[in-house]
Amino acid sequence: MQPDPLSILISRIDFGLISSVHILFPPLTIGLAIILFGFELAWFRTNDERWYRLCRFFEKLFIVNFGAGVATGVTMEMAFGILYGPFSQAAGPFFGQVLGYETITAFMYEAGFIGLMIFGWGKISRKMHLFATFNVALSSTLSAMWILVANSWMQTPSGVEFKNGMFQVTNWLQALLNPNVFAAFPHMLLAAVELSLCFVVAVCAWFVFKRREVQLFARPLRYTLVALAAVAAVQIYMGDVLGENVLEHKPAALAAMEGQYDTYDENGNVNNAWNVIGWPNKDNTGLAWSIKIPHALSLIETKTWNGAVEGLNSFPEDERPPVILPFYTFRAMAAIGGAILLVALWGCWLSWRGRMTEGLASANRLFLMACTGMVVLPYIAVIAGWWTREIGRQPWIVYGMMRVEDGMSKLSVGLATFWLIGFAIFETAVVLGTIYFLLKVCRNGPDLTSPVAGDGDEHLGELDLPSSAGHADHPEYIRPV
Amino acid sequence: MTQLDDMQYFLANAWWLGLGVAMLLYIILDGADLGAGIFGLVVGDHDERGAIMAAMAGTWDANETWLIVAGGILFGTFPFVYGSAFHYLMVPMAFVLWGVMSRAVAIEFRHLASEKWQRFTDWVFGLSSLTVTFFGGMSVGALLQGFPLVHEEGKLPYYAGGAFDFVSAFSIWTGIAACVAVTLSGVLFVRARFEKTERIRQDAARWTATIFWLAIGSVLITLVWSAAIFDWARSTWFGPHFWLWGIFGLVALWCIEQVRRDTLKDRDLAAILWYNGAVLILGLGMLITLHPWLVPGTWTIREGASPQVSLITFTMTMGGFLPVMVMYNWYQIWVFRARISKLVAYEHH
Repeated sequence: MQPDPLSILISRIDFGLISSVHILFPPLTIGLAIILFGFELAWFRTNDERWYRLCRFFEKLFIVNFGAGVATGVTMEMAFGILYGPFSQAAGPFFGQVLGYETITAFMYEAGFIGLMIFGWGKISRKMHLFATFNVALSSTLSAMWILVANSWMQTPSGVEFKNGMFQVTNWLQALLNPNVFAAFPHMLLAAVELSLCFVVAVCAWFVFKRREVQLFARPLRYTLVALAAVAAVQIYMGDVLGENVLEHKPAALAAMEGQYDTYDENGNVNNAWNVIGWPNKDNTGLAWSIKIPHALSLIETKTWNGAVEGLNSFPEDERPPVILPFYTFRAMAAIGGAILLVALWGCWLSWRGRMTEGLASANRLFLMACTGMVVLPYIAVIAGWWTREIGRQPWIVYGMMRVEDGMSKLSVGLATFWLIGFAIFETAVVLGTIYFLLKVCRNGPDLTSPVAGDGDEHLGELDLPSSAGHADHPEYIRPV
Repeated sequence: MTQLDDMQYFLANAWWLGLGVAMLLYIILDGADLGAGIFGLVVGDHDERGAIMAAMAGTWDANETWLIVAGGILFGTFPFVYGSAFHYLMVPMAFVLWGVMSRAVAIEFRHLASEKWQRFTDWVFGLSSLTVTFFGGMSVGALLQGFPLVHEEGKLPYYAGGAFDFVSAFSIWTGIAACVAVTLSGVLFVRARFEKTERIRQDAARWTATIFWLAIGSVLITLVWSAAIFDWARSTWFGPHFWLWGIFGLVALWCIEQVRRDTLKDRDLAAILWYNGAVLILGLGMLITLHPWLVPGTWTIREGASPQVSLITFTMTMGGFLPVMVMYNWYQIWVFRARISKLVAYEHH
């Protein structure tokens, strides 16, 4: 029984919405946790109160983002079962088990420590708190690792065979360490760190620009700019590594990303020109127009002057991914990666010239504005990158093994619409709420007056200890929960 | 459907137990948060509602995690059940999901919002707690009834019924019963969490007696109704081992009697622990009654289990990680154990 094409389309839009909204939040959780650990470690070692104030301030932003991440993440887990029931059943033996590990070894791990990190100030020792922050950073990274293992397996499924309607694992190691994950996980982790650094840079730059608490924000601005320059550079390299991986294992996806239709041109020469921009023709058999750079495609993808890159037309018509979206999302991501590096280098140059000190930093108006405005870019890049990856995999849900329409639940059009509308409302509310509260926390600024949290010495309230024996009439509290 | 060897079958059963324990822990731990949220709907004082949210701020996330863990175990170990049951329950699950999302957002954003918006988040939090509880309870009732599967040669059995097949008098009833039971858990939590002089605690204490009797009635009706309509329940409970089930029932009754005595004597923590004891006993009793079914009449443990469950991965996650996390959860509850007053704001808590 095949589901209605319209309901498939609606369900796919729905899942696209759910995953696109979810991916806005975890990268900041992952990267900001690492940065928060850095700030807290600096406070722990130097006792410089400014690091403490920064920790508490950025932690407020962290909480807002984390709440949104949890809300949209629970949605993801359940959406697999609801919108992709047959896929969940078939891929469950591998995919479901990996997600199961994620919930136990990462999600639960993180949830356990996050309460202590946020509310434990003053109630637990400074060392214990630092440990909690470390574990939040570690567990959210682990979480990303498991998710990327599961997603990479969908891109390059290995170690399984499809039998009796399900994927049976024949080799766990091969399935877990599938060819895509070694390039994709570092790329995603770096994206999370890069996005978070941009976020911290933007917030610090905004305060310096406004000449508010410059004493507090100029120093982390300098540090994060240097880190951002390094991370952005490594990320560009890592993106290239992932590109080579896609070329090797998902040639159709790469062809769509590059708008490469014909492997050879009419004269029989290798089609080595890189399309900077272009638009497909009506039949989707070639580009109607494009701006090309000769030899650039071969150089980028094969690292040779004339290496052949397989074109879309050499794949069966029903196995070609759409072109326009991956083509442009890929370009957007790459362009943003370059732009971020340039701004970070600009900042490093200013610092090197001694113009980013507490006294002088506020004078670099244009630079500070660029830093603040830049904050939207990594978000666009992360979504663009994810779309490149997921749309490039079409029409497969598990590349080369299971088609999307075979993995979908049989929803009626009405039910699919009900889901889409429901999700759209909730997800929009989460996104708008998050933006509003992030801005509000920034406007309110850091708390500079309340006493610094001590070493687990905060008054906990009255404890009713068990009364001594013999006073049975006296109400007895063991330890109030 | 798939052939499991003895070791795999043993592991599937161990995971099934893990799934049951995760579900019960969720009901016990987050049940208190859900119930406190529902109780918040009848609390008139703005600051008191805020204090209820503050009281659970440090732990709600870890509590809710058990639901995610249960989902993870179901997806990982019983993927065929996961895919088909979610298909069957997609409508109530939609409401559970939207409720879970709204609760998370309401509790995380409240302390940042202006007072007008705080009223809105309070309202959202209470209503979404009610939604999660009602549709969650309804889903459990619907699962107890089982659902039809279609088997096609060379394919996995899938659910092919309608989207509203889950609605029945019994499932509507289990939804209502869940709300009553969870509200009792919530008022017990509020009692234990606030200073005895606080008005909110005294309100909660006043509510306890009524809700207590309602909860007992709900459980009894559910058990009698189950025995009346489900062969698997009736034949087990009134079979040759009926005396064993009698003992189960008596122990549960005794726990419930302890709850009543402790609440009358203001021993709030003890009351919660006895209540949780009763939930555990009733829950385990239900699990044992269901065995070897995962979904009665639809999926057995053997048929629903993934053939890929291995001893190594099982030991790593269940033997290695889970105990550490349970200890950690306990430490966390310990850190945030004190009674608070309504003056304690979210920020300073």
